[in-house]
Amino acid sequence: MANLLWLQGGACSGNTMSFLNAEEPSACDLVTDFGINVLWHPSLGLELGAGVKTILEKCISGEIKLDIFVFEGSVVNAPDGTGEWNRFCGKPMKDWVKKLSDVAQFVVAIGDCATWGGIPAMAPNPSDSRGLQFLKRAKGGALGAEFKSKSGLPVINIPGCPAHPDWVTQILVAVATGRAGDLEVDEFHRPKTFFTSFTQTGCTRNMHFAYKVSTTAFGQRKGCLFYDLGCRGPMTHSPCNRVLWNRVSSKTRAGMPCLGCTEPEFPFYDLAPGTVFKTQTMMGVPKDLPKGVDKVGYVKLTAAAKGAAPAWAEEDIFVV
Amino acid sequence: MTIQTLDISPVGRVEGDLDVRVDIENGVVVNAWTHAELFRGFEVILRDKDPQAGLVVTPRACGICGASHLSCAAWALDTAWGTTVPRNAILARNLGQIVETIQSIPRHHYGLFMIDYTHRNYSKLPSYEEAVKRYSPFTGTSYEAGVTISGRPVEIYALLGGQWPHSSYMVPGGVMCAPTLTDVTRAWAILEHFRRNWLESLWLGCSMERYERIRSFDDFLAWLDESPAHANSDLGMFWRMSREIGLDKYGKGHGKFVSWGYLPHEDRYNKPTIETRQASVIMKSGVYDGATDSHKVMDQAFTREDTLHAWYDEGGETHPFDRVTKPVQKNPVDVDNKYSWSTAVRHLQNGRLEAGPLARQLIAGGSHGESWQHTDPLVLDMYRKMGGASTMLRHFARMHELCKLYREAERILREFRLGDEWYVKPTERDGRGWGATEAARGALCHWIEVKGGKIKNYQIIAPTTWNVGPRSTDGERGPIEQSLVGTPIKDSSDPVEVGHVCRSYDSCLVCTVHAHDASTGEELARFRTA
Repeated sequence: MANLLWLQGGACSGNTMSFLNAEEPSACDLVTDFGINVLWHPSLGLELGAGVKTILEKCISGEIKLDIFVFEGSVVNAPDGTGEWNRFCGKPMKDWVKKLSDVAQFVVAIGDCATWGGIPAMAPNPSDSRGLQFLKRAKGGALGAEFKSKSGLPVINIPGCPAHPDWVTQILVAVATGRAGDLEVDEFHRPKTFFTSFTQTGCTRNMHFAYKVSTTAFGQRKGCLFYDLGCRGPMTHSPCNRVLWNRVSSKTRAGMPCLGCTEPEFPFYDLAPGTVFKTQTMMGVPKDLPKGVDKVGYVKLTAAAKGAAPAWAEEDIFVV
Repeated sequence: MTIQTLDISPVGRVEGDLDVRVDIENGVVVNAWTHAELFRGFEVILRDKDPQAGLVVTPRACGICGASHLSCAAWALDTAWGTTVPRNAILARNLGQIVETIQSIPRHHYGLFMIDYTHRNYSKLPSYEEAVKRYSPFTGTSYEAGVTISGRPVEIYALLGGQWPHSSYMVPGGVMCAPTLTDVTRAWAILEHFRRNWLESLWLGCSMERYERIRSFDDFLAWLDESPAHANSDLGMFWRMSREIGLDKYGKGHGKFVSWGYLPHEDRYNKPTIETRQASVIMKSGVYDGATDSHKVMDQAFTREDTLHAWYDEGGETHPFDRVTKPVQKNPVDVDNKYSWSTAVRHLQNGRLEAGPLARQLIAGGSHGESWQHTDPLVLDMYRKMGGASTMLRHFARMHELCKLYREAERILREFRLGDEWYVKPTERDGRGWGATEAARGALCHWIEVKGGKIKNYQIIAPTTWNVGPRSTDGERGPIEQSLVGTPIKDSSDPVEVGHVCRSYDSCLVCTVHAHDASTGEELARFRTA
């Protein structure tokens, strides 16, 4: 059995909603089949407030063993570093986060707000938000660069806006079943098992990418979203096209450009005028190239691709 | 007489976590204050950004009603840019909105609302044992079935937008997707699965067709008596045990209601403007005043935000187009002064209004609006015969919407013309726009002003803002504040009744009650309501 506590800071509850879509295992399966004991959760917990505060205090005192501390949402520091703009049980949430992280065996940050600050931390970051151990790409965050939980691991970051439910449940099951030793994380503390391949890996538009055939406007049934519509699939680490969303699809399959939401910079370019759903180019070459490809290589590759493109690639492929 | 004070903290997600303070006298709530406890500043973040930034940012204001925010963001830009929206795109947007709500109903019902029926206060009630069997968290038979199946409807959202929550597939001029026949047939299969495995079997205990014949309170009572399958369905069980608890006796509120209306008709709103919207939506807008039993159409021009008691330094009240969000730096709770991140939303003529499914269904009963718009007399008939609003009727209205939305989803799947267009590329320009919808939990809308190719002002009024706002300048309580007045509290150290009232609003907010002894100031209890 593993005790799990889940709290929300500067959050939209989207990761909780996503989590409830989990299938294998489902949220209920985690409890009934895998012995995860949910100490409390803002949308699911049974205990009432005094009971909640007691649980938090018992975790901090060690009376209740806190195996997994899950945090969703940004850590709010405004105003003036006090955190008073996000109070919980009568005090700043950031104070609870610090104390609970210090006693937890594993600390898991779910979603972009908890990992890197996410949307609330977007310029001008009015709530002075940060993630648990990062602010965007910079290490540190609310707990500091050197933080390690009792298990010896840093904060396990499961980014995404929201995180896919299976990314969450599988990590929780791994921890609960004693396979945490198999968890390897990358430089941004993301589990490598999910975040080494790209969003583009498994995308149904890969042939169109290869032949440089573009989806030139929304609502088309052909083409790749990278060339004109700002898709970040080739440079974003996520398994969105390997582990499908809601069992059935992914944004790029449905026709929506990847926004790169598993990367610390999301939302890219701070959504400055002219940057939304438009590929940023310089002299006709995208500013952001597929990971590891340089400009010269890109120009050669796409020239060759364009020359080799078969006629069918310009016609509807996802036909009615 | 001992007077006690209870504080509810927090109740907010969109406008933040909310605390509610209630005064209790002789075991009954006599006064209440609601205060939101989280500020993220989405309106501040959106200033000077790309005009389309709202499509990315606002669904993430609330992960629970992201499709509703996306609808508003897209329609706001459509009206600002003067786009053309093809009929397929209107249908695809509506379908996304509908499946999000169909997801939300069982999730709220089992995950947030019915858990309280297993509270030990009710252990002597005839239905208690059955309630524990069905509604215990994670392990209850209906809880597990309902929470698990709630993930199915949003699979249809993923067919359109790639994922739920947080897609941005609705864009000015239409939608990003171009579904194929496979997507449509798969969506049908998902709807059928949902209907057979939960909606009819567990929820109604009868066919949808039988339930849909209910048009009046008497019809409903006759349906309950008709068969044990009806009476013992989750809907029948809700009705029976709510009466055992007495949830039909409190949670009344102001008796004044608002809905923006929603689901634009696919052939009537292809050239969207602010002025023509209300006459273009299938589910009509309105204001219903229970005191005079009268209906009228709602107009966004009547909306005012009052910040006297909110943690903003803006003075007076303004229409959202004229608002400049300025948070105060220090935010101590002071119920005589400022005590919330939520503004007090008012109708210029009617004052404070309640938003949500009850509002929608009371407005659906009116004869105002366009002759072709949807009407349904049931909930208004219940309202009149049951003595007005209550915690029970507020929740019933939510449950009643399921079949209607399901049918509209079916109609949309028939109406898609797969060979027609899904998107007409618009020309970006400066201007003012307004987009509205009804999220599962009530009236939602966005106002945008685009100037110089970027966002000059973006304002959101969420259903939660209507419902949990603090007092307005004229001293009128917010709807939840008002609903709490008259609530009986059996045990002030564990005031589950306050939770029933707050949760009946489905404010999608985390909420804790702090119970204070008024004479000593000692805190007695806290708890969560959503």
